[in-house]
Amino acid sequence: MTTTYTVTIANRDGATYEVTSRRPLLNALLDQGVDLPYGCTYGGCITCAAKLIEGSVDQRKQVALNNRQIDNGYVILCVARATSDITLEVGVESHDTLYRNPFLDPLKPHELKADIAAPKEA
Amino acid sequence: MADCCGPGYASPQEAIAAPSEKLLYTIAIYTGTGIQKPDYLATVDVDPESPTYSQVIHRLEMPGIGDELHHMGWNACSSCHDDSSMARKYLILPGVRSNNLHIVDTATDPRAPRLHKVIDGAEIKARANLSGPHTVHCLGSEIIISFLGDAKGEAPGGYLQLDKDFNIVGRWENSMGEIKFGYDFWYQPRHNIMVSSEWAAPNTFMPGFDLEEVGHLKYGRELHFWDFEKREPVESFYLGEDGLLPLEVKFHHDPDSTHGFCGAALSTNVIHWWKGDDGKWQWEKVIDVENEMHPEWPIPLPGVMSAILISMDDKYLYLNNWLHGDMRQYDISDPHNPKLTGQVFMGGLLGKAPQVNGVEVAGGPQMFQLSLDGKRLYVTTSLFSTWDNQFYPEIREKGGVMVQIDCDPVNGGMKINPDFIVDFGKEPNGPSRCHEARYPGGDCTSDIWL
Repeated sequence: MTTTYTVTIANRDGATYEVTSRRPLLNALLDQGVDLPYGCTYGGCITCAAKLIEGSVDQRKQVALNNRQIDNGYVILCVARATSDITLEVGVESHDTLYRNPFLDPLKPHELKADIAAPKEA
Repeated sequence: MADCCGPGYASPQEAIAAPSEKLLYTIAIYTGTGIQKPDYLATVDVDPESPTYSQVIHRLEMPGIGDELHHMGWNACSSCHDDSSMARKYLILPGVRSNNLHIVDTATDPRAPRLHKVIDGAEIKARANLSGPHTVHCLGSEIIISFLGDAKGEAPGGYLQLDKDFNIVGRWENSMGEIKFGYDFWYQPRHNIMVSSEWAAPNTFMPGFDLEEVGHLKYGRELHFWDFEKREPVESFYLGEDGLLPLEVKFHHDPDSTHGFCGAALSTNVIHWWKGDDGKWQWEKVIDVENEMHPEWPIPLPGVMSAILISMDDKYLYLNNWLHGDMRQYDISDPHNPKLTGQVFMGGLLGKAPQVNGVEVAGGPQMFQLSLDGKRLYVTTSLFSTWDNQFYPEIREKGGVMVQIDCDPVNGGMKINPDFIVDFGKEPNGPSRCHEARYPGGDCTSDIWL
């Protein structure tokens, strides 16, 4: 069952686009003329990361983000699909909390990637 | 060079005596910078007599965006010197993120290289189940390229073989054995040996460096010795804490030598190996760069030795400390006992040289290429887009730089050339970042003698 959702890009003057739940957001937006960075196109390299401001996506195929980056709202557009109407910030302007110096700002055990993260202590 | 011969030089000694380089190629990236332009191959004028000395004189854009050009290699080197049907004409530029291989003709007009062919990354995934291309070496008339992952970005990847016309032959290796990760490799044919090193899976290193993953064994710490003719690993050395992230692998240029070196980036050590009188391979740590404390940071800062280079005469080893900001020169005449003979700072996180020749340096010394005569070392500052963005976020506005260090190949010593600097922050499409460099006539990190 294909559903259509509206994507609002907050840092492109609130431009809106219609996408379906079947296609990754990157392809759906590129096809409509949105200029977006990307690299590997399989969810592994983080180049296309965007920040989800509102709404929800299914990005189970991504393998690039650690749990802190996910908590900070990052989504990997090349594999993420909308599951509601969403608002995004895109491009490197949205990467303010994507990158960190690990010697300055270590991850806590539960903030590592999902496959090795320790459960968060209550 | 005699008309009878193929590419390169008959020996390292002949290479040292070759004319000085006049042109240099370096890749420059926009991937990960926020500028929606293709990465490109820049031609830099390095002839001091030229009016455009120390400038980018040509830019060859790749067909698409997002490749992340990184390392590159020749279609032929001195290993084909006896084959007059071969020529050093093509430079192979892999895109680490896109998986595309760009074949660039540098011979028709060396100042203005042109795109010859692109091998589609999707085809490589489909036919060889490989992604994350890194090191390119030729072997005789064929080419092998290390890939760090399978089609899904999982380690250990393997090796892609191309024929001399850049057709995909398939996987080069017969077995990866128990190897967990791939990265760099170098071979020494007279001893039927290849040595390979370990970074991490593309899915691990491409998004950036989570130091915390090192303890979870997501990054490498082994060196692998291969039976080169059988194309399979035969022995591995576990380097432990001394060898975290063993990256660049270099043998002596002397084809009779069994001595080689690897820079362990995170441990910031140089590992030396050789074949003992008993015929067994041995290794030892010969250089250990101490961590430095940053005044405001909780964790001691390693140098991060992401590259090493051996001079063509095998007398000097050069290394970088990307986070500390220094380039070093060691006399390795006795490979068991390197002696520090030169050191200069350019950039880095310790604030020791924020400017070089009037240009603010974002990043630290990263990749470097040495002239064949051992006198001029060209150094660039960007490592990899995502890692740059973590450690040197200001590189987004400032771009990379290329610096040239004058080296004394007789008495040792290094000094920054005050007349040379290429500021990639001033590129026409905005700040880009330069990485590996090569010369049209061969260089200190490509040629191997049979």
